Amino acid sequence: MDKVEVVIVGAGLAGLSAAYVLADAGVEVLVVERGDFPGSKNVSGGRLYLEPVRAYLPGLFDEAPFERQVVKERLTMLTSESSVTVELASDRFRSSPANSVTVLRARFDQWLAEKASEKGAFIIPGYKVDDVWMEEGRVAGIRSNEDILQADVVIAADGVLSFIAEKAGMRECHQPRNVALGVKEIIELPEKRIQDLFGLKAGEGATQLFFGSITEGMMGGGFLYTNQTSLSLGMVISIHDLMQKHPTISPHDLFELFKKRPEIEVLISGGHSVEYSAHDVPEGGLKSIPRLYAGGLLVAGDAAGLCLNQGITLRGMDMAIVSGVLAGRAVLDARQKKDYTAESLGIYEKYLKGSSIYQDLSTFQHMPEILSNPRLFEKYPEVASELLLEIFRVDAQPKQKISRTVLRTISRELLKVDVLRDLWHMRKI
Amino acid sequence: MHIVVCMKQVLDLEKIRIKPDTHEPVLEGVPVCLGDFEKNALEQAVRIKESLDDVTVTVVSVGSPKLNKTIMEALAIGADEAVILVDPHVNGSDAMGSAIVLANVIQKIGDCDLILLGEGSTDEYSGQVPSRLAEILDLPQVTYARELEVLDHRIRAVRDLEDMLESVEVELPALVSVTQEINQPRLPPLTAILKAGKKPLHVWSLEDINASAEEVGTDAAVCEELSNLAPAKPRKEMIFDEDIDSSVNQALEALEQEGVLDL
Ligand SMILES: Cc1cc2nc3c(=O)[nH]c(=O)nc-3n(C[C@H](O)[C@H](O)[C@H](O)COP(=O)(O)OP(=O)(O)OC[C@H]3O[C@@H](n4cnc5c(N)ncnc54)[C@H](O)[C@@H]3O)c2cc1C
Ligand SMILES: Cc1cc2nc3c(=O)[nH]c(=O)nc-3n(C[C@H](O)[C@H](O)[C@H](O)COP(=O)(O)OP(=O)(O)OC[C@H]3O[C@@H](n4cnc5c(N)ncnc54)[C@H](O)[C@@H]3O)c2cc1C
Repeated sequence: MDKVEVVIVGAGLAGLSAAYVLADAGVEVLVVERGDFPGSKNVSGGRLYLEPVRAYLPGLFDEAPFERQVVKERLTMLTSESSVTVELASDRFRSSPANSVTVLRARFDQWLAEKASEKGAFIIPGYKVDDVWMEEGRVAGIRSNEDILQADVVIAADGVLSFIAEKAGMRECHQPRNVALGVKEIIELPEKRIQDLFGLKAGEGATQLFFGSITEGMMGGGFLYTNQTSLSLGMVISIHDLMQKHPTISPHDLFELFKKRPEIEVLISGGHSVEYSAHDVPEGGLKSIPRLYAGGLLVAGDAAGLCLNQGITLRGMDMAIVSGVLAGRAVLDARQKKDYTAESLGIYEKYLKGSSIYQDLSTFQHMPEILSNPRLFEKYPEVASELLLEIFRVDAQPKQKISRTVLRTISRELLKVDVLRDLWHMRKI
Repeated sequence: MHIVVCMKQVLDLEKIRIKPDTHEPVLEGVPVCLGDFEKNALEQAVRIKESLDDVTVTVVSVGSPKLNKTIMEALAIGADEAVILVDPHVNGSDAMGSAIVLANVIQKIGDCDLILLGEGSTDEYSGQVPSRLAEILDLPQVTYARELEVLDHRIRAVRDLEDMLESVEVELPALVSVTQEINQPRLPPLTAILKAGKKPLHVWSLEDINASAEEVGTDAAVCEELSNLAPAKPRKEMIFDEDIDSSVNQALEALEQEGVLDL
């Protein structure tokens, strides 16, 4: 039987980061990817926070093929007929190094794969790993078709559905509550037009998140990211809510309605759709994290549920990179001791728990409950837009004092038990 | 017996997108792969190797530096070693230039009993390289072979001539181009890809062979590309969403009106 030191399942950001670290240290590492090339199957809205990852791979991202540096953030609440947008622009976003950037996965993942290959990692696309290979009760390799490949350690970096983690008994089958469905389209537009639409200079980018009536009361929202010559536009919706609240609504149809909103239509008119994709997002937070290590096995990235939906930010890519690096480091420690048992590989969990990504997951562990509140998508956008409409409109009747309008809205709409309860719950995040 | 298989590195056609407004293909960032017909040629070589004693298979390719990686698939499928010619001067060669370079590579490799090629490349499909190469090397040529059998110092092949089949026998050494009907190429197992990295890979440039930069590349090409556009095919965008029976009927009617169906 053939053998290598480490097999990594999945050439996403988690798998490639682990491969980079291991190959850099001279370990014989093989990455198996079922897609035609790294990044071919991977979907992100496309904003990568760089601060959490920079220290883990110093210098590596200096010449990475990023799309734009994010200098402008917009948050938009939608009702069926109005929208309220908050915009934050700051010179602090313009400083170097960038706080966050937009990326296109097909391009970015291929670049990272190239970097890992240069270090000596062997990346094989076009092959699906079907199962782990067990020997004496511990993971000792992988099976792909009839082929068995032995390894000291397998790193499962196979994304949100991670059949490898499931087959190796690291977790139960996924619960709908812990998974959301994302649909996304890439719409090509001239570079200059994108800059004009969002008021950006060359190289500068904007992001816009949407929540409210577009999800019909279901947990989720829309997103828009500017790339160099395209927009990434999409929606993420809770699978649990889709099943329970609107079993007949297709997310694709909701997305089409979203695109017809005037707020969106003006942005994408004249653009060409060049890519359409759908992908699951782990949204269970801290509570849905599976066992992270076993004899001969580590789990990283989305496969380990390391993804955080904070409502205003979605973070999975930075967590994939950090967990990949830490899995790599844990393997290096185990290799030094020539001990790949669960006890020895357990250092991975220690590393992870000491990282800022894990602390963020812990701080925001109640986020899923807060975000599943339907008032967030129906009532609150409605109240905000009604209030502003009253303030901004001038009608034939004499206007009320602004203070009176505000106070009336507060007493009529917001001094209610459920609203106060929502407010009380917010302290958890 | 020594078999040389010529394989071309081409853009993965499935990944090429056509710009809707100008009909130009978007070629930037498209991954490369080995040509489809060549995979049939290689498969045939490997089958011969598996059925006879003392057969070695060398794969030869002329192209960009990406070949260092692309060629691994051929080694995984079963070639014993590979020679790739990577040289900026050969960029833009037409079929003549490619044949000259291949001929010189094969001459340098030395004794070779059988040369296998695809009937045409997956991208340009001029089908000229096999015949030109045979002429330069002064070898008998059998093009469009859909069956191939090695006898003692001879081969027997069945050629596909569209409206008829032709059976031929040729003395070795000889050159054969194959069609897709000849076999079903295998997918190499994962572990074979791993082993491919350990097989000999020779990287040559024009300096290593007996060809000069003047004979090859864009400047030597007698064919000039005037335009490269996909045919304009606007979508009809007809959607039938009534009940299933009337939708089917409407769809059939529309297809008949378009001249696709004759009912
Ligand atoms: C619509 C959407 C928007 C998002 N937006 C953002 C965002 O803006 N910012 C952010 O930080 N995160 C975002 N995320 C989350 C982010 O995309 C993920 O957290 C991240 O991709 C996780 O990386 P990974 O390497 O763990 O997994 P993936 O990127 O999913 O990679 C897993 C890889 O494993 C391969 N694979 C799976 N099974 C097998 C097998 N059996 N054999 C071989 N290969 C296999 C897959 O083909 C894939 O290449 C978004 C996600 C979605 C769906
Ligand atoms: C987008 C594009 C990029 C190109 N890039 C390069 C480049 O980077 N470098 C370069 O040298 N040329 C390049 N070319 C030119 C191209 O290689 C030649 O035009 C071609 O070899 C001419 O013959 P054909 O493809 O019509 O071959 P055909 O005669 O149709 O091919 C028949 C058979 O000949 C064999 N064969 C043909 N070409 C080769 C080859 N190059 N190596 C091994 N076997 C071969 C194969 O077995 C093939 O099945 C490029 C062409 C295009 C369209």
